[in-house]
Amino acid sequence: MSDAPTPTPTDAPTPTPTDGPAPRPPLAAARKRQSMGFFRRIARFLAEMGDAVAQAVRSLVAHKLRAALTISGVSVGIMAVIIIFMVESGMQASFAKQLSALGPNTLYVHKWAWGVGGRDWWKLRNRPVVNQLDYRALQQNAKLPVAIAPMSGTDAVVTLAGEEVKNIGVQGTTEAFLEAGGWQLHRGRFISDLDHEIGSDACVIGADLEDLLFKERSPLGVQIKVGPTTRCTIVGTLARKGTAFGRSQDGLVVMPLSSFLRSFGSKRGLTIAVVAAAGKVAETEDEVIAVMRSQRRLGPDQDDNFSVNRQDKILQGFNQTMATTNLVGVLVGVITALVAGIGIMNILLVSVKERTREIGIRRALGARRGSILMQFLCEAVIVALAGGAVGVAMGAGAAALLDLLSPVPASIDPRVVTGGVLGSCILGAAFGLWPALSAAFLHPIEALRHE
Amino acid sequence: MALIELDHITKTYDLGLSKVHALRDIHFSIEVGEMVAIVGQSGSGKSTLMNILGCLDVPTSGRYSLSGRDVSELSDDELSDVRNLEIGFIFQSFQLLPRASTLENVELPLIYRGVSKKERRALAAEALERVQLADRMGHKPTELSGGQRQRVAIARALVTQPSLLLADEPTGNLDSRTGEEIVRLFLDLHDKGNTIVLVTHEPKLAARCPRAVRIVDGLVIADGPGREVAMANAEAMGADVVAQVLAADAMAAARAKEA
Repeated sequence: MSDAPTPTPTDAPTPTPTDGPAPRPPLAAARKRQSMGFFRRIARFLAEMGDAVAQAVRSLVAHKLRAALTISGVSVGIMAVIIIFMVESGMQASFAKQLSALGPNTLYVHKWAWGVGGRDWWKLRNRPVVNQLDYRALQQNAKLPVAIAPMSGTDAVVTLAGEEVKNIGVQGTTEAFLEAGGWQLHRGRFISDLDHEIGSDACVIGADLEDLLFKERSPLGVQIKVGPTTRCTIVGTLARKGTAFGRSQDGLVVMPLSSFLRSFGSKRGLTIAVVAAAGKVAETEDEVIAVMRSQRRLGPDQDDNFSVNRQDKILQGFNQTMATTNLVGVLVGVITALVAGIGIMNILLVSVKERTREIGIRRALGARRGSILMQFLCEAVIVALAGGAVGVAMGAGAAALLDLLSPVPASIDPRVVTGGVLGSCILGAAFGLWPALSAAFLHPIEALRHE
Repeated sequence: MALIELDHITKTYDLGLSKVHALRDIHFSIEVGEMVAIVGQSGSGKSTLMNILGCLDVPTSGRYSLSGRDVSELSDDELSDVRNLEIGFIFQSFQLLPRASTLENVELPLIYRGVSKKERRALAAEALERVQLADRMGHKPTELSGGQRQRVAIARALVTQPSLLLADEPTGNLDSRTGEEIVRLFLDLHDKGNTIVLVTHEPKLAARCPRAVRIVDGLVIADGPGREVAMANAEAMGADVVAQVLAADAMAAARAKEA
């Protein structure tokens, strides 16, 4: 007889109504059965696992409503966490992308400091605006910058042959604007430094404006009215740049700074964009500060009465805000996981209670504590997994919807899917552990007597 | 060597304020192929003895050896394996899984020894044939009669080819006709060489076993042929016992005649 514990028809000593008396299996063989080989253990584990999964599915199917409620609890939790993280990463990605529109090597000399909260507002409000004298000083004395573009802007109505377009950004600047802002020309030419010197009526329009006012014909040479009185002749158009900070950048008119100030007020403050050579941002910033301080005739004991802004300062401010949002996200995640976990624990405790006798029967027939533990853990993990799968699916749906309906780019990446599925698995196992242990440690006799 | 050797077994339940001596000094052995009834009133300790014999519980003192292996001090997992490999349980209330089919119920103990699904099916079907229930494999326990349920339970006990069939009041939940059917099945199994231990309080059942052990207050007070042990207490128990033993004689005679 082999050491296989499973009887085969040839060694079957158990009587059937048709056979004659047969001897009991030899005791030596019976004892041999008790030492299990490695492969036997694997086979036993697989058999128990298969049965556990089948039983768990059967139990859930038998109690559809109960299962559905728990599963929906888990799935809503998982979905909430997915949406929070998706929105956050979407916001972060889109913000970083929009910031890159400002150029990583560009310094912005301005009256106001970017990213400064309202608390410091009163300190800065009495600073003088950055003006054309500052621009000239920088142009003459700063040697490191690659390009310096003074900028001043407002919103105005653009009119062409009685057709009005509202909310167009009007930007007065110089030739360097093209490089400082990372713009590309689409047609014609850009405004030149000469246009600025003589205060010409040349202007360049953005892609939105071109699309709105000039469907078929070329806009070059056409005169438009910017604001109430100013007439400009279009000499070029800009290539489309897309949106930044939730607003299209392409609805604009660029005109020479001198012409802009003449038309829209010469006391307007400027923002001077200073493009540094790659890798020389810090030196350039120092030089800009030095030139500005000397231009402003600041003594050694006086603070700067201007700010040199960089996009990474905004990013810092943004990241601080995001850190708070992230914390909220994690907190919401923990709370939803807890609620979902309690749901799982509850359904499992009910299941253990209902199946106490079954546990007794299984123990009597040879199930070890580990077998019972595995059976209930399986049930918990399957509930959690089902919830996780539904949650991930709902999260993906929400991502698609968000992407479609809002400017925030949202997509579900495979890491979120794996995280959701894995997370729900761990959730199920963690919250199922206690009920499963309580089932495994039931006394077989008491479990059998349970009504 | 005997299949079961009970060496001065005691079992005491500590209830805090008092101690209950469920088994005081149980000392007997059962040979391979025997059919033994353990009889006693409720509270006599026969259930405790049955739990110890079935490795569901361990004695407080004394030594219990099953198939030559001392099982009185095994770990929980080892006891589980002994239950799976050596013992086939049959309970008064059948103890079938209500949601599982007849076939799945019979397969159950084979899961815990790692038999493949296909092999489990085959062995379970074979065991069900042995109790003449081959045509009820897909039925749920609730769709079966009491006698059929008990036969499913017997098939489940037989499927592992245990050294010992242990039955706790196997006819207790059955009417007398189906009870007789089950008794005959046990007698047949005994004829084919199985070792069977029945726990019962019915003198009628004990009288038909070749050997009976009577337990009172945790002590063995009689051990001998079933009919004698059942009759021995007739004086104390009244005429009812005599009537029951006579009924058992008639049943045995009927079976002999049929065979």
